[in-house]
Amino acid sequence: MSIIEQIEAQITQLSTRATKRNTGTIRAVADGVATIDGLSAVMYNEMVRFPGGAIGIALNLGETEVGTIVLGDISQLKEGDEVQTTGRLLSVPVGKTLLGRVVDALGNPVDGKGPLDAKETYPVERIAPGIIARKSVSQALFTGIMAIDSMIPIGRGQRELIIGDRGTGKTAIAIDTIINQAKINKIGLASGDPKFRPVYSIYVAVGQKNSNIVRTLSTLEAAGALDYTIIVAAPAADNPANQYIAPYAGAAMGEWFMENDMDALIVYDDLSKHAVAYRQICLILKRPSGREAYPGDVFYLHSRLLERAARLDGKGSLTALPIVETQAGDVSAYIPTNIISITDGQIFLETDLFNQGTRPAVSVGLSVSRVGSAAQIKATKQVGGKLKGELAQFRELAAFAQFGSDLDARTKAQLDRGSRIVELFKQPAAAPIPIEQQVVTLWAMQNGYYDDLALKTVAPAAASLRKFFTARQTALLDEIRTQAKLDATTEARLKTAADEWKTTQPKT
Amino acid sequence: MKPDKASRQLARQLYTLSLAADGRVSPERVTGILACLEKNPPPRRHLPTLKAFRALVATALARGEARIEHAGPVSAATIQTIAAAMTARYGRPIAPSAKPNPALLAGIRVRVGDDLYDTSVSARLAGLAAREG
Repeated sequence: MSIIEQIEAQITQLSTRATKRNTGTIRAVADGVATIDGLSAVMYNEMVRFPGGAIGIALNLGETEVGTIVLGDISQLKEGDEVQTTGRLLSVPVGKTLLGRVVDALGNPVDGKGPLDAKETYPVERIAPGIIARKSVSQALFTGIMAIDSMIPIGRGQRELIIGDRGTGKTAIAIDTIINQAKINKIGLASGDPKFRPVYSIYVAVGQKNSNIVRTLSTLEAAGALDYTIIVAAPAADNPANQYIAPYAGAAMGEWFMENDMDALIVYDDLSKHAVAYRQICLILKRPSGREAYPGDVFYLHSRLLERAARLDGKGSLTALPIVETQAGDVSAYIPTNIISITDGQIFLETDLFNQGTRPAVSVGLSVSRVGSAAQIKATKQVGGKLKGELAQFRELAAFAQFGSDLDARTKAQLDRGSRIVELFKQPAAAPIPIEQQVVTLWAMQNGYYDDLALKTVAPAAASLRKFFTARQTALLDEIRTQAKLDATTEARLKTAADEWKTTQPKT
Repeated sequence: MKPDKASRQLARQLYTLSLAADGRVSPERVTGILACLEKNPPPRRHLPTLKAFRALVATALARGEARIEHAGPVSAATIQTIAAAMTARYGRPIAPSAKPNPALLAGIRVRVGDDLYDTSVSARLAGLAAREG
């Protein structure tokens, strides 16, 4: 708040002049929606005040009535209650004071850690940055998941959809990414590098079970990532209006970082439930319904949200990882196709792969990052540039090889290599791998260090290689991280170290 | 229940007919319209049309009236001053109607249509309570 605003606030409190408000009376209240007679001067999306402190947002402006969503407790509202306009848009607190906190859709703390000391608020609904303000995505945002960082790279300011059936590890990918940002932040901030740009995370839980939110919170806390994260919770038991507004509130919090020359990552978990909450509101508001009973503006609902993620010229960035749940792997359903078309790529998780034990269950064929290698460091490109093609060939050959046993040596070699890559990419949850270790792991694979190993021992061997480098080659790892590329000298040092590691491995 | 679209359209037409040359609702015209409706009720839409018509007329009447609620005694001159101020503000004739309301504790509250002007102590206390959380 500026000095003038502070003085004006004081004047407002002392003033004895009459306050003018436009009023209306509640005609009906149902499931987070109130129909109000009057409010003739209300504006679209304006915040209205209900008795008892609940607030609403005007969404339907009719000739004699106004349809509003009610945020907060609706149990105290009844027909005939007076409603007043406020002349303001709904705003939420923003800033670094929210880091490490769990807030509801309106930015009120729900973690029992006391009130927030936020100095600023941002409107929940905001126009996305225009063309001129944007800059192309060219800086990497490491997820810590080898399969993603090497084949489906994500850049700062990108919108990458995580899509898959229930229980395929969608949330785990998002949480791993948040944990990895925290790890990178800790190292970067400790190094004192003035060019280092930390990434702050916002996790928006929409329509989830409270137990799931608590589990996520504990995971982040255990990994030491909560200090760099804001959790916006609109659980399944919450009013649908809160579930509808929560992603926009999270976006406003992320925009503060972006506008203030910082980088932020926002996870919307998940937008299918968000669309369902909006559908419920619209059906009660009696808006005409279309396909799958969703209202006509369900595309705009998500496009205006995801367009707010951007990399701004001369400022920071906001990267969005929306999550969408599919039914029986059907990506051609209404909401998935909408969001696929809005985002800059998708990470598709397959139930079959998950059940086979390939975790993260990323389907390489269906996953894509439209930003591509622009958001990759050179070192990753050097060691993993051809991986996606090799894996795609492997999948094709593997399907073909099921029909015959007589395979030529070249095909067998390709199949063998492919299955080794698949093994290498297996990674437990909440254990992101730093990018320099990913480079070392993939370099060893490209140079045949795992070729003589039994398939089952590839992943443990890779883990042992990483452990070896962490313990004995810290300087080399630091060099790879800071230089972000492999030159002849680095490769020579890598070879010497890898050879040394190989001698420690049992002969098979 | 909300009247259907056809009833609302008919009510809107009736409302237009009930306006006098000065743009205000004419009681004579409304009486005439009601008599006509009684003689020739619109099939299946009599009640919803009447309800929608009532809402439109009530809104129009409320826009031309300053309903003044006061906690203590208010002189006729004050009421006339308020009415004159409102007439000047809205650019249309506003007729005053005063009603005591001890719940306000002190001060007055004026309502013109949907607009509410509040100087009452009870509103200030409510505002203070809301700010203090």
